Order: sequence, then structure tokens, then C-alpha cells
Amino acid sequence: MAKKFRSKKAVERGSNAVIYVILTVISVIWLIPFVFLILQSLRGEPGATTNYFFPKQWTFDNYIRLFKNQGISASTGEVVSTGSYKFMNWYGRTLLISVCVTVIQTAIVLVTSYALSRLRFKLRKPLMNLMLILGMFPGFMSMTAMYFLLQLLGLTQDMSIVGLILVYVGSSCMGYYICKGFFDTIPKSLDEAARIDGASRQMVFFKIILPLSKPIIIYTVLTAFMAPWGEYMFASLIANGDPSYWNVAVGLRDMIQREQLTAYSDSFQRFCAAAVVVSLPITILFFLLQRYYVEGVTGGSVKG
Amino acid sequence: MAKLSLKHIYKVYPNGVKAVNDFNMDIEDKEFIVFVGPSGCGKSTTLRMIAGLEDITAGELSIGDLVVNDIEPKDRDIAMVFQNYALYPHMTVYENIAFGLRLRHIPKDEKHPNGKFTKEEINARVLEAAEILGITEYLGRKPKEMSGGQRQRVSLGRAIVREPKVMLLDEPLSNLDAKLRTQMRAEISKLHAKLNTTFIYVTHDQVEAMTMGTRIVVMKNGFIQQIDTPKNLYNYPENKFVAGFIGTPQMNFFEGTMKREGDAVHIRFAYSEAEVTVPYSYFYKARPDYLDGEKQVIFGLRAENISISPAAVKNSPAVIRFKVSHKEELGNETLVYGDINMEGDGYVESSTRIIIKCGEDVDLMPGDIAEAALDLDRLHIFDKETEESILPRIPQYNYLQAEVKGGKLHFLGEEAELPPAIFCEDGEYQLLLPSDAICSGGSIRAKLVSSEKIGDQTLYSLEVGGTRLFSVALTEGDAENIRIDMKKIGLIRNGEEVVRPMPLTATFGGVMKKNKVVEEVEKKGKTVQKKVIRFFLDIEGVDFPAPDRISAKLISALSARKAFEKQLRYECSAYGLTVTEKGIPAKVLRIADYGTEKFAVCAVGDKEVYVKTDAELEGEIFLTPDFETIGVIQADMDIRIV
Repeated sequence: MAKKFRSKKAVERGSNAVIYVILTVISVIWLIPFVFLILQSLRGEPGATTNYFFPKQWTFDNYIRLFKNQGISASTGEVVSTGSYKFMNWYGRTLLISVCVTVIQTAIVLVTSYALSRLRFKLRKPLMNLMLILGMFPGFMSMTAMYFLLQLLGLTQDMSIVGLILVYVGSSCMGYYICKGFFDTIPKSLDEAARIDGASRQMVFFKIILPLSKPIIIYTVLTAFMAPWGEYMFASLIANGDPSYWNVAVGLRDMIQREQLTAYSDSFQRFCAAAVVVSLPITILFFLLQRYYVEGVTGGSVKG
Repeated sequence: MAKLSLKHIYKVYPNGVKAVNDFNMDIEDKEFIVFVGPSGCGKSTTLRMIAGLEDITAGELSIGDLVVNDIEPKDRDIAMVFQNYALYPHMTVYENIAFGLRLRHIPKDEKHPNGKFTKEEINARVLEAAEILGITEYLGRKPKEMSGGQRQRVSLGRAIVREPKVMLLDEPLSNLDAKLRTQMRAEISKLHAKLNTTFIYVTHDQVEAMTMGTRIVVMKNGFIQQIDTPKNLYNYPENKFVAGFIGTPQMNFFEGTMKREGDAVHIRFAYSEAEVTVPYSYFYKARPDYLDGEKQVIFGLRAENISISPAAVKNSPAVIRFKVSHKEELGNETLVYGDINMEGDGYVESSTRIIIKCGEDVDLMPGDIAEAALDLDRLHIFDKETEESILPRIPQYNYLQAEVKGGKLHFLGEEAELPPAIFCEDGEYQLLLPSDAICSGGSIRAKLVSSEKIGDQTLYSLEVGGTRLFSVALTEGDAENIRIDMKKIGLIRNGEEVVRPMPLTATFGGVMKKNKVVEEVEKKGKTVQKKVIRFFLDIEGVDFPAPDRISAKLISALSARKAFEKQLRYECSAYGLTVTEKGIPAKVLRIADYGTEKFAVCAVGDKEVYVKTDAELEGEIFLTPDFETIGVIQADMDIRIV
């Protein structure tokens, strides 16, 4: 008797259904915190917490107070100015730091990776190993030393923008791995062809390699931007002192100190609003640039 | 339009791997040179050294009259086509081709105020190149929208638009399918004819090499095996590797021995019953010491030089029996595979397998036993160990029986005066007479049988006393009266070299040194003493100031500081040593008088060194080498640096 086979399509449909159910559950679990954050930022009721998920009063006041540098007093429940406690100030400082770091770090990472991918020099391997090992030590090990050095140079507190940029950019060439891996996939014969065509090494880099490296440049830009954008540890130390020196992470952390969270205050709601505002640039950047992630640009350069 | 010259080119990688060994070649203008060999043989490395993409460890590369060792690729006036096309993927075909022209600097003049080509000129040249290659309609496309053949055409376009002196092509067709490859092969040949420039082409495909090259360089393991025209490579391979590499199906190789019996030679094939007896006339050029019936040799014979036609079998002196294993019918011809060992199977490559190229119809069936006639005119014989041909086109030595009696050398019924330098007991000897030791103008009568131009040498076949002699040193039109250059002969008695050819080069050991020297320097009209660093060549413990040319080459080849650590070997010819007041101490042992020339035989350390001299030298002398002709070799890696 002939063996009965199940239709291949039916089998596929069945297994797909299972996969989709699992994926849906996972994404719901992942999304709940974000949804909660947005909901809380729109909550009208005062107080630190509620015992229900969806707010009963919807309002944009949290955002408005956040931008106006106002808050509801933790003790009296009146709307008061937050003084030097200015969110937009933190936001601006952090944005400035992140943009500077992005520009500098991207440049450093690209040139380091290109050099390590293309040039052959005696210390190449030892250097790569050294960077790998150094990268294994957590950054905060050097935190105190770094603080005192920067203090000597006068680059803490009010000058902390410069200090933080230096700290973030300082070890950026250690992030060469992924970028070098990408350059390694661009055939060397392209460089060689260009050199025979009369290009100098710089021209090869700028005219041939960079135009082919959009995905990795985008990746480098995104990672370079994200790191200082949400960085707390160094900022809390180097930009310590007056709240006007803080960056968003330090400021936001302060918003949810215990003493701020009373039955009257709107500190938690403003915190959630701030968190939403903070996540905006990265989200926008990602949506703008993500198509380059997918685009394969080396197609056609070599045998395909 | 340029000649290329590669002199003693070496490539040694930092890990000590020698990729290219002593590459010597002169490439004439407009030649189509093909480097061919299995992968890893150094052919691409050599090409990349010519392109300037790879540093030259030692040696001298010139394009035209210019030594280009240290010149950037872009300034060498070359163009290169890569195996993977190496097109710039973000540029259109037009931009790809124009890229080089846009970057090119040209002399400033009225038409080119900024030293660059104008847009119109670039446009005209790109269109012309596109026209030649038939890619005009694709100029607006990106490389990824094109097929492999089209991409390779763009890559060729990018090369020809530069109008280079030399075109370098690195396996340009190996990414294409078979049909396209044949087509592009013809197109590249056409392009060569049209452009009239020198082409250097690298491939591992011997068919490509044979069909395209005017001359072919066969390489293996970094060594040149043979440089010759396709026809000569096919007909006169210098060693077994070349013989087996060139031609399909592969040449048949049989192991065996040869024994001379009077005017016949008895050939016995190993691992088989087969044996044939053939006239000696086929083996005039073979080294006689291989005809002893003991030395193992390898016979090589191409498939088309073996015939199974009854007429050939009937008339041939060399017929062997073989067992058919299988056939490959190719339409117009049939390859019959078999084995001359009746137990063997003709499927695997062995020293008894036989492949025969036959006509269309062959009625042999697997298992049949048949007879095949060997065409001995096309027979190649190789030494089993060295794999060098022992039936070379130009025999290096003539082997004769000779007798020394009363200071005279008797051979072939002739006699020649032995110079005072050669002294040996009277008796029977074997005479080792190099083919360049037989010169014109002497008292020995010879009959010129034939002369043949081989490369830049002429090989004369002579007959003296009924024996065949070969010479390459005769003057044209004067082959009737010959003499022997006694410097070069050797006499062997009972397997022992009693008289050796005079060693033409002396070898010394040493290093390069760096010393601080106080020198007087002119400075602002005053003479001041100044410490300067000078390089010295230590030869056998004696320091000679190193000529800049030599020290510069040593330093660049041996990567700076290591140049002072490495042991060197110096080679001087007997004519390149002079007796001076200071120098390498030597003790004169005797004077070797070769009649026309005299040499002082000196002891330097435990070495014997010959020095050309006219004076009667005695006792302790000092020698200075001629630094113009000296050879400097890095000893442990065996790299010729100067």
C-alpha cells in the first residue's frame, strides 16, 4: 500500500502558525515596557504610581511642564519652576556631546579599521590583540584616574562637555572589529586597480572604499551616537555638581529619586515623558538609516 | 612601447617563504608573454611585482630604460586586468573607464591649464575604448547589471584607455565559462595585435598559454622551468614537468633503462615485459653515461606520436604491446587508454599507462592486446631523479674516450697538446668535452654535418673521426678547423675526476659592516673632522668600502638592520680579481698555464682561487675583487642580491 504523504504546503502552514504565535508572544512581552512608558507619560493623575495600567486622565501637561522646566512640588502639590533643574538644558548638552562624539569616533573607527584591514606592518597583529585585551576591562576601572586627570585639565563640571567628549572618543578606535571585518570583504584588487589607475592611498579610501561602505558607516554612526546618548556612569562623575552640568541620563536618574516620588509630585510622569523624548532621536535616526543596512552595495564589483 | 627586463628577481615573504627565485628574463617590445604554471608557482607574484603591487626583495626590474623597483604603480605606465575584474561597483561603466584618465597628471599647457585631461578628451578616449571592446551601449550601466564577460570587457577598457606601455593580465578569463573563455581569448589576442603593446598574461591554463603567447614562461615552485615559444615548449621540453604540463592528453611517461650495444640501443621498460632495440642514431644527443643499461630514466612520448595503424607498426623499429583498458571517443579522434603492463589498468596515471591518439574509428575493445609503434624522433628522455632532459636540444657535454701520452691528448684519431696546467699520468681517460669548449681556428679537422639555430645560440653538429661532436662556440663559416679550449675540459679515470675544468668563479664568504669613520669634510671653507657612518663589505675578514650601489641593494633586500647580520657569499670571476697591495691575503700555490692564458692558483683560507695574471706571481699576495662584476648572494636563503 502506498504510503500516505501529508501535503507539503499543509505542513508548512502548520509550522508557520506555531512560529508566529511564539513570535507574537515574545514581541508583546518586549513591547509592554515601552507601551507602559508612553501611557505613564500621558497620565493626568498625580502621584508616583497607580495600581492600574491605563491612565484615567489623559494629558500632555507632563510634556509641557517638562519643556517649561516646571514641576509639581513634591511637598505642596503646586506647579513650581524647577530652577537649574532644566531638562532641555540636559538634552541640549547631551545632543552636543553625542554629535561631536559621533563625528570624531566615526572618523577614527573608519581610518583605524581601514589601516588594520589593508596595511601590513609589524605591530599590526600585536596592536589588534592589545586592543582586544584592553577592551575586556570594563571602562569604569579607569574612572577615578580619568576624573582626576580631567580635573587637572579643568575639564570637569562646567567644562564637562569637553571632558566627556574626550572620555567617549578616547578609546573609540577599539571598536574597529566590525568595521575591519567589513573592509576585509571589499576585495583588495579594487584598491590595487585604483592605485594603478593613479589614485593615492587617501584617494582610494575616499573615492573607492567609503562610497562602498555606506552600511558600515551608518552602523558606526548609530553605535557612536547611542553610546554617549544614554551614558550614565562617567557623566555622573565628571559632570557632577550643579544640575546644569548634567546630561539626560544623570538628570533622569535624579527625577526618580525617592524624595521626588510623593503622592503629589509629577516627577515620575515627567520622567516617562522625558524618556520618550530621549528615545526620539535614536528612533528617527534608525528609521532614516536602516535601509542602508540591507542594501548590498558591493554587488557587481567582483565575480557575482 | 617598451622592453622589460627582469634581472635576478626574488620575492621572499617576511615569513621566509620564497615565492619567486632568481627570475631572469628579457621581454621585447610588443611581445605577448604568458606566465603559466600550477597554483602557487609564483607567476602572479611576479606579475604583481612588475605592476608594483608587491615589493621586489632583490633584483632589478626595468621598464624601458628605467629601473622601476621603487616607483609607484601609477608611475610605471602599466595597466592591469584582474581575475575578479575589480570594477568600482558604485561607478557606471563610463566612470570606471574614465577614472584613471581623470586622475592622470599630464604636463600643463594651454589646452590643459590644470594639468589634467579635458572632459572632451576623456570622453573621446572612453568612447574609443568602448568602441574597440563593443561595450558602447553599456556605458551607463553599473557593473552589477552586467554579465561576467561584459565586466571583463569593461576591465580591459579601463586598462587600454590608459594607453600603457605594458598590459598586465592576471588570469582574466578564469571566472568565465568555457565558451566565453574561448571567445575572449581570441579577443584579447586581437586586442594585442591592434594595440601593439607588450602584454604579460598570467594563467594556469596551458591551452590559453599555448594559443595566445608569443613566448611562454613555465614556472613551478617559484622557479622558471623553461622560457620558449609555444612550439618549442611542446616539442623540446627541458624537463619532465614542462613535458607533462604542456599538451593534452598528458605526455606518456614510462620508466626504463637504455643500453648501448654498438650501433643499437636496447630499451627496457620497467614494470613491463616491453623492450625494443633501436638504432643509436636517435640518441646522438643523449648523454652517453645514461646508455649503460642501469641508470633509471623516464621516457616521454606524446599520445599522437604513438600509432596503432598496421602500416606504422610494420615499419617501425620500436613496437610495444599493450592491453587496452578503455577508450575516450571525442568525435574526430579517439583516445585509447591502455597499459604496457599486462596486469596493469590504464585508468590511473602510472609509469606503464599508455594513451594513444587515434583516428575516428578504432575497433579495439577493452581487454584487447594490441601493438603500438613509437615515433622515436619525438622521444623525450628525462633523468629519473632530476627530471631534467638528457636528450637536450643543446647538449652540454661531449663524452669521448681519450688517451694521454707524453703530454699529448689523443682522441678520435686526433691529437692535441696538453697545456702545462694540465698534468696527469699517461693512460686511458674519459674526456668530458663541453660543447662550448670546441672553438674555431685550430688544427683538428672536422666535418660540419649540420647547424641549427636554437634561441640565440647556434648548435653545430660535427663529425671528427666518425664520431658526432656538438659545439656552440664555433664562429660562423669556420667549422672545418677546430681547437679545444683546454680550460674547460675534464678527464675522468675510473669514475674519478683527474682533471677538472678550471673553476671560472671564486666564492668568498663574509658580511656587510657598518663602521663609524672619521672623515675630513669641507664646511664653510674650513676642513673639519666629522664622524660619518660608512658601509664596508667584509670579504674573508678584510674590509672593503662598499660601493653605494651594492650597500643600497643589500639594505633594501635584507630589510635594513638585518643586512648586517646575514652571512653573504661573494662570487668573483677569475678575470675579476686583481693583485693589489692590500686586500684578501692569498698564497700562490702554482701557476696554471693554459697556453694562451695564465692563471695563478692561490690558496685563500682553505679554498683554491684562480686569478688571471700575466706576471709570474709567487708567495703571499693580496687580492681585490672588481666591484663592478662581483656577485653578492645572501647565503642562507640563497638570494642573489647583486
